[in-house]
Amino acid sequence: MKNAVYIHIPFCKVICSYCDFCKVFYDSTWAKKYLKALNNEVEDRYLGEEITSIYIGGGTPSSLSLQEMEYLLQMTRKFQQSSNIEFTCECNLNDITQEKLELMKKFGVNRLSIGIQSFQEKLLDFLGRNHTYEEAQEKIKMARKMGFHNINLDLIYAIPFQTMKDLKKDLSLFLKLKPDHISTYSLIIEEHTLLSVNKVNPISQEEDLKMYETICKYLKRKGFVHYEVSNFAKSGFESSHNLRYWNNEEYYGFGLSASGYIQDVRYTNTKNLTKYLEGNYQGTQEFMAIQEKMENELMLGLRKRKGINKQDFENKYGVSIEQAFPIKPLLKNKDLQEKNGFIFIPDDKVYIMNEILLKMI
Amino acid sequence: MQTILKQQNIRNFSIIAHIDHGKSTLADRILELTGSISKREMKDQILDSMDLERERGITIKLNAVSLNYHYGNEDYLLNLIDTPGHVDFSYEVSRSLAACEGAILVVDATQGIEAQTLANLYLAMEANLEIIPVINKIDLPNANVKKVSEELNQVLGFKQEEIILCSGKTGEGVDKLLEAIVNKIPSPKERDKSPLRALIFDSYFDPYKGVVGLIKVEDGILRVKDKIEFMASKATYEITELGVHTPNEVHKDLLRSGEVGYFTAAIKEISQIEVGDTITLASNPAKEAIVGYKKMKPMVYSGIFPIEPNKYEALKSAFEKLKLNDSALTIELETSDALGFGFRVGFLGLLHMDIIITRLEREFQLPVIATSPSVIYHVYLTNQEMIEIDSPNAMPEQVKIARIEEPYIYTNIIVPSEYIGSIMELCQDKRGVYKSVEYISSTRVNIHYEIPLSEVVYDFFDRLKSSTKGYASFDYEICGYRESKLVKMNILLNGDIVDALSVIVHKDFAYERGRAIVEKLREVIPRQMFQIPIQASIGTKVIARETISAMRKNVLAKCYGGDVSRKRKLLEKQKEGKKRMKMVGSVEVPSEAFLSILSGERK
Repeated sequence: MKNAVYIHIPFCKVICSYCDFCKVFYDSTWAKKYLKALNNEVEDRYLGEEITSIYIGGGTPSSLSLQEMEYLLQMTRKFQQSSNIEFTCECNLNDITQEKLELMKKFGVNRLSIGIQSFQEKLLDFLGRNHTYEEAQEKIKMARKMGFHNINLDLIYAIPFQTMKDLKKDLSLFLKLKPDHISTYSLIIEEHTLLSVNKVNPISQEEDLKMYETICKYLKRKGFVHYEVSNFAKSGFESSHNLRYWNNEEYYGFGLSASGYIQDVRYTNTKNLTKYLEGNYQGTQEFMAIQEKMENELMLGLRKRKGINKQDFENKYGVSIEQAFPIKPLLKNKDLQEKNGFIFIPDDKVYIMNEILLKMI
Repeated sequence: MQTILKQQNIRNFSIIAHIDHGKSTLADRILELTGSISKREMKDQILDSMDLERERGITIKLNAVSLNYHYGNEDYLLNLIDTPGHVDFSYEVSRSLAACEGAILVVDATQGIEAQTLANLYLAMEANLEIIPVINKIDLPNANVKKVSEELNQVLGFKQEEIILCSGKTGEGVDKLLEAIVNKIPSPKERDKSPLRALIFDSYFDPYKGVVGLIKVEDGILRVKDKIEFMASKATYEITELGVHTPNEVHKDLLRSGEVGYFTAAIKEISQIEVGDTITLASNPAKEAIVGYKKMKPMVYSGIFPIEPNKYEALKSAFEKLKLNDSALTIELETSDALGFGFRVGFLGLLHMDIIITRLEREFQLPVIATSPSVIYHVYLTNQEMIEIDSPNAMPEQVKIARIEEPYIYTNIIVPSEYIGSIMELCQDKRGVYKSVEYISSTRVNIHYEIPLSEVVYDFFDRLKSSTKGYASFDYEICGYRESKLVKMNILLNGDIVDALSVIVHKDFAYERGRAIVEKLREVIPRQMFQIPIQASIGTKVIARETISAMRKNVLAKCYGGDVSRKRKLLEKQKEGKKRMKMVGSVEVPSEAFLSILSGERK
């Protein structure tokens, strides 16, 4: 049995206006306590399987001090790591230093995911972020030099008052940085964020779709593979950790509010920091029966542009996908397509894929 | 046990009032004061026994209770006959009042005379009742007793000294009211020797006894085992039980002239007994029935369909159960291309319709789609024949129609005088014909218009409320049929006529109504995977059009994948939403859409 690991670091130095992930302002006392609690959870839960990918996300993992980061990375040595492990750490541009990069390198981090989002000043202001293109250039150069050969950049679009020109400028600047992977995020005004408190209105569906299509077309032209609804990679740089989610496979989630899927149980840890620090990391959990598993397979698998492999589905669940779901009329209707043994959502319907799922689930 | 009292010690009376003026609370207090019910047993507003009635503060079904009252060394029997307080049920009110010799007219000390105060008072006066004016809720800090008694004096001619001030809530003044009931309301006449005539003023279904009729014996004596005949329907039965409610049931061997009580006669269906009919003895029938009987006729009709097509049988049985207690409801099968199998249901009015739909959802867990209510049109064909149409889809082809007549109402709209202008504007908009304005006091008026009933069905109440900040009260009576230039308007979704959305409209208002409906539908029908044109048409001519754009985005376009249960919740929420939708051709239409076309309000 192989497995994967997600680790959540809920600390940030700045809170972004759109973010609804679980996070608090960085505080070194809390950070130390937190890492201890995290260590306990790992020791409690980890069953010793081979780990094929580790993803440290947040929050802002790079907000930790050098010493804290070392403690955290030391912890990852507890995992039985595959020789070809994909080991990602999310970083904020401003936090990236020679020392931190060296530390990460030393402990086997081989993929950086940098939250850039945009380079347009007015948009960065709106998102509550602050950096320049030159900074990015410098930090990425530093990382490359250090031997990080797999770098992801996050891009946000569909921001109110963002123009198509803004988006195109961002795309071209992103590409100049030669990333290996780009994750996109269509801005959602989530509840309990600063944006929703300020009653910001989202852009229209039409504009949102237009931007999405622009991104897809542009990145494809620049040699990226559009392998999942929101993810693009140079060939061979598809994130194996992300694919684990979309393949409906199991993974550990450690840390405050982290979600995991272990031995048929999907769980989400407590979102209460005090409780977590006291060692009560348990939140909610739900056993996945076969029907639910198959539905999740559909919901997640169809996010992959390649789609779901019919034979794999049948091997996994003992029934064919046609037996499990009424997909025939959808194929006829071109809501779904079939090619080389894969069932997938055609390009023109990716952005309304929930509608298609609702016809099956 | 109750002793047999002479007629002169009996008082039969009703309490009449505008909605929320405190009628039921006052009735409760009377029950308490006469010891009919102890404080401990007391659930507020005992007479309003349906949950829905309590919730809305209205009485839907009638009740009658017999109360013992000791006063001036005499024992009296007070029969309190409760009445529903809404125009939809005015025939039932009139029959209840016909069973009384007196009525208590309750007016809220903070509100003054309202539309139903007048409507009910007129009914009581028609029945020649002795009226006791009462100002209620005098305990409230904003009570204005002086102003309200001036209104009672100026508008209705009551003398200052005959008005009783009381509070149903605190009980203040209720003793004076009881004394006035005894002193002022005439006792019923003793006519024990005349041939039997008893007025049926209400009925209900009891699962153990079958149909129970509430009656007032006008002439003669009715005994258990008597063979009776209903004078209108000619049906005959044998009395199996007689009694009174105190409010608990007390069996009696006989009911004599002047007495109010209930009977059972092994009647299985409520439709076999008609409110307003007269009971007489089959062996010694009276010559004439008590006047005032009318067959109860529904005023508005609507198509009622289950949202889930497989719930048709369940809906059918729910209607059968509702009908047991509601003889005014008429039900026929109806099929719609858009909505499948359902029923064409006749109601006494919009409140009645609303109540039934709410009961279907609450008591039977049956969410339904109701189509836009229709009045009964008189359609005169070119071959001289007249047909009654209660559904737009039953309308004959235009070429076969010589003319169409529709029912009109005569309004009582009571408002502070500063709103005269807005009311007139509203009524003109509703094709109203101005009649008159009466001053109730120096600051309040009663405005009379004649308006097509179909216009009242369409957003009248909402606009009345919003244009008068809620100060208007409204009541009406049907005043006859008038010719109008009416046409059937169809609504097309994605190019197909949706029969359940068709409406009958006045030709001159068709364009405006068409626009309002297509705009409303564009708001309430969510985007779908394809673009949907919405059109309003008369014959083949499209008079209004809107388009619902195709859905462009319904996906979680976000990079983080771990929180799968959140993704699922989002999908499940969307799935729940779809359950409230009905597939109409290729379009998913939310169930509210069918009635939403009634509200003309635009964004």
